Amino acid sequence: MAVLLVFFALPNALLLSTSFLKSEAQQLTSELTLENYGFLFSRSLYIGAFIRTFAVGVAVGLLDVLLGYPLAYFLVRTRSRFKGLLIALALAPLLASVVVRTYGWYIILNRFGVANDLLLGLGLIEERIAFMPSTAAIVVGLAHALLPYTVLTIMGSLNGINPNLELAAMSLGASRTRTFFSVVLPLSLPGIAGGFILTFSIAISAYATPAILGGPATQMMATAIYGFMTQLLDWSIGAALAMILIICSLLLLYAAARFGARQAAL
Amino acid sequence: MALSDNTKDRKLIGRRTVLKRAAGAGAFALAAPYVITARAQETLIVNTQGGEYQELVERVVIRPFEKKFGVKVIHDATGTASQDYAKIRAARGAPGFDVAGLLTPPEVILGVKEGLLEKLSEREVPNLRHLWDKTWSVIPGGSGAPHTLQYAAMVYNKDKLERPRSWADYWEPHKKYGDKVKGHIINYNPANLLSVYALIHAAQLGNGGVDNMEPAWARLTAQKPYVGVVVTGSAEAVPHFENGQVWISPYWSGRSGYYISRGLPFEMLIPQEGVIGLFDVACVPTGAKNKKLAYEFLNYRLDKDVQREWALAYFTSPTRADITDLPKEFTASQIVTKEQMAKTQFPDSDVIGANRRDWTLKWQEIMA
Repeated sequence: MAVLLVFFALPNALLLSTSFLKSEAQQLTSELTLENYGFLFSRSLYIGAFIRTFAVGVAVGLLDVLLGYPLAYFLVRTRSRFKGLLIALALAPLLASVVVRTYGWYIILNRFGVANDLLLGLGLIEERIAFMPSTAAIVVGLAHALLPYTVLTIMGSLNGINPNLELAAMSLGASRTRTFFSVVLPLSLPGIAGGFILTFSIAISAYATPAILGGPATQMMATAIYGFMTQLLDWSIGAALAMILIICSLLLLYAAARFGARQAAL
Repeated sequence: MALSDNTKDRKLIGRRTVLKRAAGAGAFALAAPYVITARAQETLIVNTQGGEYQELVERVVIRPFEKKFGVKVIHDATGTASQDYAKIRAARGAPGFDVAGLLTPPEVILGVKEGLLEKLSEREVPNLRHLWDKTWSVIPGGSGAPHTLQYAAMVYNKDKLERPRSWADYWEPHKKYGDKVKGHIINYNPANLLSVYALIHAAQLGNGGVDNMEPAWARLTAQKPYVGVVVTGSAEAVPHFENGQVWISPYWSGRSGYYISRGLPFEMLIPQEGVIGLFDVACVPTGAKNKKLAYEFLNYRLDKDVQREWALAYFTSPTRADITDLPKEFTASQIVTKEQMAKTQFPDSDVIGANRRDWTLKWQEIMA
């Protein structure tokens, strides 16, 4: 409890108080104001960044669940003697820094990158395409970077399902497909929800990937906060933006937790 | 026994002698720079250039300083000027490094206002007396040790474009080069001072300036369809120069010289409207642990021989006014004479600091 207070509540309280202080010519004053929030909510640029952040979070969460579930299912159910190796390979991206992985996408997606070279070489395009900076590039980069988290979470859930339940369903005449949709999928929902929440939470606060694969037209909240805090040295606006992100994330996570608890009770 | 011996010895010295010696020692301490006391302190943490310049700054400045003073320097090569200042502010003057080696005038001015940087005098840093007089109109007197002088030049790809002459050739590229430059113009986020200076030139083209940036926004809007690359950091632009995507750009004279000397097919020039100069400034945060050695380091960076060698290695100008023996072909593109200094613009960094947020917002709205 004390740890939570010192490392979470106290810094956030400081951030909250800073968000209500007026800043003049990059200097914090002691004057209380709501101007910082007014400034952010009156600019389409930041409203756009806010909407984009949560849209990217949802897109990355869904994409990772769709990609991660079959992979997790395969890894849990395979009888291959290389099962351990396969699991290690699936999680191997975690061994490289997210910056390194994102630069991999940069090499593929930039105007002079591998994707353009390939499409030009195959004669599918005549002019190079700007795949990045774009929101789609950010989604792809984040989905790749966060996929192992979803796989791990869903694997945990699938491992917890008693295999006898599937055998029982099939012995009563259910096909493999029906068994999957009627037994396995509902029982693995907590894992799916957990994987989604985890990737969503990391994606909405991600900085490196949006900074590398995005641009001025695809700004997200974390890149905007970083800009205010360390480039423009305007801590009041930066703190207000950070508080909006934190409060919205907590509310969404609370709603997701309530939903998860209700599903578990059912 | 030993105590009584010492007591005995002290009795042999008369009161007048003690007073004389004390006065002499005091006068010496006041007059002497910190070099003697600094020797006793062994480690200095210096935040300064990293990346491709890490080897250079360590070879020309850090290792010789260590050798001369018999001390150990820990080189913190992280962060940009504003990031380093953010650290100083967040740590209330004690960011963990003793020297903030690479601040720019807007951070220095803010640091003085917020009381987070030590005030320097010629007592701590005797070489301050050799700096250009103009220095103290750019940053507050004694707020730091400007050790590098460069400017926002223009660079262009010699294989792709004919030589530009004016800042207008960058801001309105279609007028000189037509549609072939579409996608080959680079623009920088105003978080980088290079972008701010280029925008000031854009404003000046329309008779504006730091007090009236409206003409700059009109030019930025006109330039946008031709922009193919947008970056924040200066180093981020280099791969785009190398792969042939960017053909014309404002760029720091130091970096330009460095990359061109290594084979980049670009030429650097001073447009007819002139250029804006930039001092890189080394400062001592108020909470630095080893201030005396930090002052020694600042003084060493301003040493005549170090300044000369650094200027040649980094393709920048010395900040001392008394270095007159640099090669002619080198000085042609530098700020080393009174005439060159007089021609170089130094816009009010206080005004830049006060408006940077609004300018960045405007830039973001146009570029979004």
